[in-house]
Amino acid sequence: MDFDLSPEQREIQATARDLLAARSGPAVVREAAQSRREDAALWKEISELGWPGIAIAERHGGQGLGLVELCVLLEQAGAALAPVPLLPNAGAALAIAHGGTPRQQERWLPALAAGSASGAVGAAGRDGCLLAAAAEADVLVVLDDRHGARLIERSQAQVTPLPSIDPLRTYVEVEGEGEPLGGDLAAARDTVAVAVAAESVGVAARALEMTLAYVKERRQFDVPVGSFQAVSHRCAEMLLHTEQARSVLYHAAWASDAEPARLPQAASLAKALAAEAVVSVTASAIQAHGGIGFTWEADVHWLYKRAQMNAVLMGGAGEHRRRLAALLAIAPAG
Amino acid sequence: MDLTFTESERAFREELAAWLAANPPGPEPVGQEEAHFGWRREWQRRLYEGGWAAVHWPAQYGGRGASVVESAIFFEELGRAGAPLPANVLGLLLAGPTIMLWGSEEQKERYLAPILSGQEIWCQGFSEPDAGSDLAAVKTRAVAEADGWRISGQKVWTSIAQHAKWCMLLARTDAQAAKHRGLTYFLLDMEQEGVTVRPLRQITGESEFNELFLDGAFVASENVLGGEGNGWKVALTTLMNERAGLAFFLQVRMRQLLEALIEQARRRERLDDPLLVDRLVGLHMRCEALRLTAYRGLTAIEKYGQPGPEGSLTKWMWSQTNQELCQLAVEVLGAQALREGAPWAYELLRSRGNTIEGGTTEILKNIVAERVLGLPKAR
Ligand SMILES: Cc1cc2nc3c(=O)[nH]c(=O)nc-3n(C[C@H](O)[C@H](O)[C@H](O)COP(=O)(O)OP(=O)(O)OC[C@H]3O[C@@H](n4cnc5c(N)ncnc54)[C@H](O)[C@@H]3O)c2cc1C
Repeated sequence: MDFDLSPEQREIQATARDLLAARSGPAVVREAAQSRREDAALWKEISELGWPGIAIAERHGGQGLGLVELCVLLEQAGAALAPVPLLPNAGAALAIAHGGTPRQQERWLPALAAGSASGAVGAAGRDGCLLAAAAEADVLVVLDDRHGARLIERSQAQVTPLPSIDPLRTYVEVEGEGEPLGGDLAAARDTVAVAVAAESVGVAARALEMTLAYVKERRQFDVPVGSFQAVSHRCAEMLLHTEQARSVLYHAAWASDAEPARLPQAASLAKALAAEAVVSVTASAIQAHGGIGFTWEADVHWLYKRAQMNAVLMGGAGEHRRRLAALLAIAPAG
Repeated sequence: MDLTFTESERAFREELAAWLAANPPGPEPVGQEEAHFGWRREWQRRLYEGGWAAVHWPAQYGGRGASVVESAIFFEELGRAGAPLPANVLGLLLAGPTIMLWGSEEQKERYLAPILSGQEIWCQGFSEPDAGSDLAAVKTRAVAEADGWRISGQKVWTSIAQHAKWCMLLARTDAQAAKHRGLTYFLLDMEQEGVTVRPLRQITGESEFNELFLDGAFVASENVLGGEGNGWKVALTTLMNERAGLAFFLQVRMRQLLEALIEQARRRERLDDPLLVDRLVGLHMRCEALRLTAYRGLTAIEKYGQPGPEGSLTKWMWSQTNQELCQLAVEVLGAQALREGAPWAYELLRSRGNTIEGGTTEILKNIVAERVLGLPKAR
């Protein structure tokens, strides 16, 4: 039993943290949000470092590491709100790696891993279709509960942008026949859901960090507001929610790499808890910032907005709780 | 990262499970406190004879020198087997480790073996009427004499004092010193004049805990633990141990209660109610999050010698989840479950103590805020 990142994984984490701290600071994020544009130079650099293909097999041009390593990166990307399509690319690649035919894998994985092709991934279900996308995605993967999964090339796809409250990422709806994915569709859905959970945990952790810095500084009644229990206990709860979500996240990522039989339950647990955590933690962050937190000028709202989108992307907490009920046989399936 | 158990951890679990299967604790006496404690005493005797009384103790003191993971496995299996905690749980988990860390060789020699065998039961005399969350405010006075100390004052909520031979006693030896400095940790013999135990009736109707009156009780000099004036530091060792091993026992017990509730709801054909199902799923999620967070804490202790931020969260998570689980059970099962003496009624009432005993949830939040998050001291 070793429930901790390995030294190599810690190194990946530190590298990502340092790079993104230098290259995706608040000013960069703000500029990207205002212009709704990705940071092409940063994306190029990240792609050269092999991030999008970190969990893709070496024979497909990836680094051959696991979902745990990808989650480490996504957590950092989420914390920095890096304006790069890491989740859409890596997510599309995960879906194709698990659910694609050998031909689809050969066609798309090397390019997605290298960042030379860009991806989009998401789910379609009774609540409609929602994909997280690179700005000009070359390949779109729709994981649909009822109609199986499809891979659609850009030329064949009718892509409708969904101008969401989160300006730091492109979201789209897509229509088009495309080609069916035929592999392990459950694993495709589950791993992408875990990836979204990972980014969400990073967002929550950052919201807590910003809140702590603020409530230690901001004074009212001649004392830091963080000394009021209503504030400090709220912060303790933010930590609780973030750490719970992190525990179940890495359990799910590890399960995908090492014990796939555990993945379905683990993934739904991770996605449901991450969705609930990131929404409540980022909302708390706004509250603890007071009036400033409600302004466009403060940066907490970007986190709140990403939290909302991530909460519904790949199925909301409700959907995953329903699935858990079925998997646990608490309720009759379907 | 590897969330499987190692070969030796699995072997440990199998050996233990086999032993537990061959040595079942016998039927639980329900509703009779004396018999119930006797049952736990007998259970400790059997554990002791089997070499399982304190797996986390070093071998030199009669334990198995088990790793923290093995210790967690021990409590998980105990819970899974439906076995009770051994009678001397406070001795095994609190007094023993505190004496190992702070005690002289003579003290270790004298006290550890009878803790292990259950021959001498221990209780914890920390809380007082005016010193609960603010533990350092204890007023019980110890006055120096030629060869020891005379102790006068009152303790309260002292669990199993009625069975105890020894008490971990926190008392004030220097009224002039600063609050945390004037305290000393004593090993008090409960079998003497000047010690009066009066049972307190709890909301469950039982009397686990007591008032403890000290009226000139004597403690010999050699029964000071950790030195005069060091009581606060020694007491912190006890408090840290309080929340460690038990977590896994409690976590497994809570999981069993949840499964029992799901089964009862199924039999009553209530699982067609989506609202109920969602609440059950929510409890499942929190049990899992607790289990996995507790495992993360174990790895942190193994690797870094102390729990990470997640370590301070598990008691808080468990106590709230357990309360909600019991609440849901009586809502689902209705008046039947609320009959006096009904198992769920007992669980419900007992669960109210969970967020108070061993540090209230509010105090745990203060600890998280100040020590983990570095926030200024609460007001
Ligand atoms: C079942 C059970 C068994 C116990 N067994 C033992 C035992 O064996 N030995 C022993 O020594 N003690 C024992 N205790 C006592 C237990 O440790 C205390 O009850 C606990 O520490 C709280 O102290 P108190 O009861 O004085 O409550 P108080 O400290 O008076 O608290 C009252 C309320 O105020 C809140 N509060 C207090 N201070 C703060 C603060 N700074 N910030 C925010 N809120 C605050 C508390 O959270 C609580 O809600 C036991 C208690 C129970 C319920």
